[in-house]
Amino acid sequence: MSGTILENLSGRKLSILVASLLLCQVFCFLLGGLYAPLPAGHVTVLGSLCREDHTRQNDTSFLLYSRGAGACIPVSREEVERDPMKMANELVHVFQMPLPRDLRDLDYSRWQQNLIGVLQVEFGYDSTSELREPPKELQLTIDMRLAYRNKGDPDQAWKLYAHGVEQRYLDCVTAHVGPTETLYSCDMIPLFELGALHHSFYLLNLRFPLDTPRQMNLQFGHMHDLTLTAIHQNGGFTQIWLMLKTVLFPFVVGIMIWFWRRVHLLQRSPALLEYMLIYLGGALTFLNLPLEYLSLVVEMPYMLLLSDIRQGIFYAMLLSFWLVFAGEHMLIQDAPNKSTIRSRYWKHLSAVVVGCISLFVFDICERGVQLRNPFYSIWTTPLGAKVAMTFIILAGVSAAIYFLFLCYMIWKVFRNIGDKRTSLPSMSQARRLHYEGLIYRFKFLMLATLLCAALTVAGFIMGQMAEGQWQWNDNVEIQLTSAFLTGVYGMWNIYIFALLILYAPSHKQWPTMHHSDETTQSNENIVASAASEEIEFSHLPSDSNPSEISSLTSFTRKVAFD
Amino acid sequence: MDISYIFVICLMALFSSDSSIVPVEGKQKSGRGRGSMWWGIAKVGEPNNITPIMYMDPAIHSTLRRKQRRLVRDNPGVLGALVKGANLAISECQHQFRNRRWNCSTKTISRGKNLFGKIVDRGCRETSFIYAITSAAVTHSIARACSEGTIESCTCDYSHQSRSPQANHQAGSVAGVRDWEWGGCSDNIGFGFKFSREFVDTGERGRNLREKMNLHNNEAGRAHVQAEMRQECKCHGMSGSCTVKTCWMRLANFRVVGDNLKARFDGATRVQVNNHRSQNSIPVISPNAVGSNTAGPNALMPQSVVYGEEEERMLNDHMPDSLLLENSHPSKSNSLPQAGQPNRNGHRRGRKHNRYSFQLNPHNPEHKPPGSKDLVYLEPSPSFCEKNLRHGILGTHGRQCNETSLGVDGCGLMCCGRGYRRDEVVVVERCACTFHWCCEVKCKLCRTKKVIYTCL
Repeated sequence: MSGTILENLSGRKLSILVASLLLCQVFCFLLGGLYAPLPAGHVTVLGSLCREDHTRQNDTSFLLYSRGAGACIPVSREEVERDPMKMANELVHVFQMPLPRDLRDLDYSRWQQNLIGVLQVEFGYDSTSELREPPKELQLTIDMRLAYRNKGDPDQAWKLYAHGVEQRYLDCVTAHVGPTETLYSCDMIPLFELGALHHSFYLLNLRFPLDTPRQMNLQFGHMHDLTLTAIHQNGGFTQIWLMLKTVLFPFVVGIMIWFWRRVHLLQRSPALLEYMLIYLGGALTFLNLPLEYLSLVVEMPYMLLLSDIRQGIFYAMLLSFWLVFAGEHMLIQDAPNKSTIRSRYWKHLSAVVVGCISLFVFDICERGVQLRNPFYSIWTTPLGAKVAMTFIILAGVSAAIYFLFLCYMIWKVFRNIGDKRTSLPSMSQARRLHYEGLIYRFKFLMLATLLCAALTVAGFIMGQMAEGQWQWNDNVEIQLTSAFLTGVYGMWNIYIFALLILYAPSHKQWPTMHHSDETTQSNENIVASAASEEIEFSHLPSDSNPSEISSLTSFTRKVAFD
Repeated sequence: MDISYIFVICLMALFSSDSSIVPVEGKQKSGRGRGSMWWGIAKVGEPNNITPIMYMDPAIHSTLRRKQRRLVRDNPGVLGALVKGANLAISECQHQFRNRRWNCSTKTISRGKNLFGKIVDRGCRETSFIYAITSAAVTHSIARACSEGTIESCTCDYSHQSRSPQANHQAGSVAGVRDWEWGGCSDNIGFGFKFSREFVDTGERGRNLREKMNLHNNEAGRAHVQAEMRQECKCHGMSGSCTVKTCWMRLANFRVVGDNLKARFDGATRVQVNNHRSQNSIPVISPNAVGSNTAGPNALMPQSVVYGEEEERMLNDHMPDSLLLENSHPSKSNSLPQAGQPNRNGHRRGRKHNRYSFQLNPHNPEHKPPGSKDLVYLEPSPSFCEKNLRHGILGTHGRQCNETSLGVDGCGLMCCGRGYRRDEVVVVERCACTFHWCCEVKCKLCRTKKVIYTCL
């Protein structure tokens, strides 16, 4: 790779660029912190009990709802207790979302993007029965029917969206031990995930079929409260997020075009790092593409999966880029031919590939299957949970291997840098500048990357710890979770934007070359000559004052030349 | 629930109904703070009646105060929740006291404050429990009804969101819908607390000791509901990771609240009023004691419990609800009146000022001052052994007891030494049920013999 803009940029220009990028970063953070609401909201719905006729139990077009004209009349728990059969196999738990608030009927907006439902179960046993220990892995069979209705439809016009009979396993703890009844409260169970919140109202009918021959749901005493929590993305957050994407998208596309044109102006084929940068930009552009606008018009249940895939591709690209970058800055030209992914890096990148593929398979198993059956979750069966865990552990192990390997490579680069420094002063100026440029580029990226990674980790921890917002003073509130999300998103955009600018090939000549050669090809010559001189230089004794020249001093010297 | 238990309740009901023909005394003016009329709502209509209960119902009209009627009118659907809440309180009270001499019996025909009998005229432990459990039940029941969707006026918890920029300019319903679309509407369990304060505490002005006791116990009931709420979280970031996490509060089963209140009943504090703080004085609130419900700061305070002053707010306001922050009121502490600037609230609402900021001192100065979750009472309870209509005590004649127990439910203590009778009864229960999906349930009827001991 020839000299880049980074090396040839004056200190003043560089600081202006960095400062303006930091300003953008602060803007992204504040955009999330000051304007955006929490990323997700929720509605907690307590199930109403409806009694149904046996004859319609297998008719999936028959739906019970709790509000509006023609709603079922809820039965109270006392009535159930009074019934001689306790209304076994006749009860339907009805959840209608969203709930009315502030004297208004609320409806879901398409800006709210997706809906995730989790259920919390409470049940009780008669204390006379022998089961006293908190039951573990209780199998619960639920007949679930999800229906929707749009704004403007009549109250009874519910249409079935999905129907499924699913098994869930419950882990429960004792909430109360009484003389007549022992109450258990259970961990929440995932119920459904909708990738597209396309309709205005949703309705969930749950039945717990009791069946003696099939041993279904018999271990349960009586169901007490069922609480459904439906989590949706907040519309305001979607708007801010989409706005950010819409603004960032053209910038990144523009800088990619500029970068690629600049690379093509050179009389050589693009180097591997330039390919990597353009791939990285491509992955980011794919991530930035504001596809969510379409979901306001078209029902796109695959949005959740797609956004996972988009993020996955981006992270895979970023990780590969770091590896290749470190590899390309080894400062040893061991092979005369140009390095490609296939020739040099396939072994290095295998960890990334394995990790990404295992996460992808996991995601397909979870969210992919949910496209067909929104009630499906891989976590609900012990076997599925094991499989899912295997994939996640595999991904974790590959991530660990990747980072160890990356650290090893970076350590190697630093060792090489140390070696090179000792020999720098004795090199010809062209060679020295070449190496100094390499070292400077590498250190700059290292610094920027470490900063970004540290900020991401710190932001993530802060977002987890702070639980919501943080008071600046009396009238300024910062929504930390959203600020973290928009801040990190903006940060990686800015990071790649900066990489594309700073690591684009420079048109400027190295200062000393002005008198001899004006063409861009001179850079190539220097590199070639440097490579040929490699062996000779490595034999030089390292007695001449080596370590004094830091990249900083070389940088200032370069500035002086400018 | 076994049938014998129901049988006993019916017996008790019968028993109490014929003993409740007590002349209604014109004590209502002098007996301020003694018993709440609204309890009578429990008997107004079954909560599951097919016809919706109207607030114009004359029975309700006579039971509720004007402010309570206004609250019921302004919050459609709240009446059903109140009826449910009152019944929940009664059944929970009867469950908790099923083994004691006083078993929380209610009168079926009398209304209002006589629902629990005249025991509420006395400021004894049992009364404190009645107040706490009813206030807790209303809180619980309103919060439940909000998440069931039966009350349309429940508010949103806007404390965790920035307001939509467009919404600020628009008024009324459009703004509300925009707010919902913008930042969602997390449930506001605080609505139950606020409503309970407005509704249950109406008429309790905290002017005399008895009213202070009622207020304290009402607050204690609500504090127990609040303390039993649990936070639940769900991660739903990329591939289900925890980059995005949503948390919400979950109400505990009311039985758990009842258990806790019963434990506080057993350790209730007898109090007397602080003499030098007369009824209209502004209490001095030290800034570090504000709203501290935890044991640490309370233990540091030498004399008495100090309440964090809660301003009375409109029900439908969108203020962030600091009620839910149990341990700290960060924004509140700044706005509280300091010792140097008295009477900031004195002229705010006239008589209603700082209803909740009073201090109760233990009767025995060596005892710990009551905390915000403790129950307080003024006078020792009667023995409840013998029937005493003047005090509204039914006595333990005819009560079931446990022959083997040495506790209060044992026949020795329960029957106050009068002796007991042994009966054998046959109980018919359903058993050995078989289920088929869909749609058949078959049960057998089993007869079991039970031995019942009854106090003479």
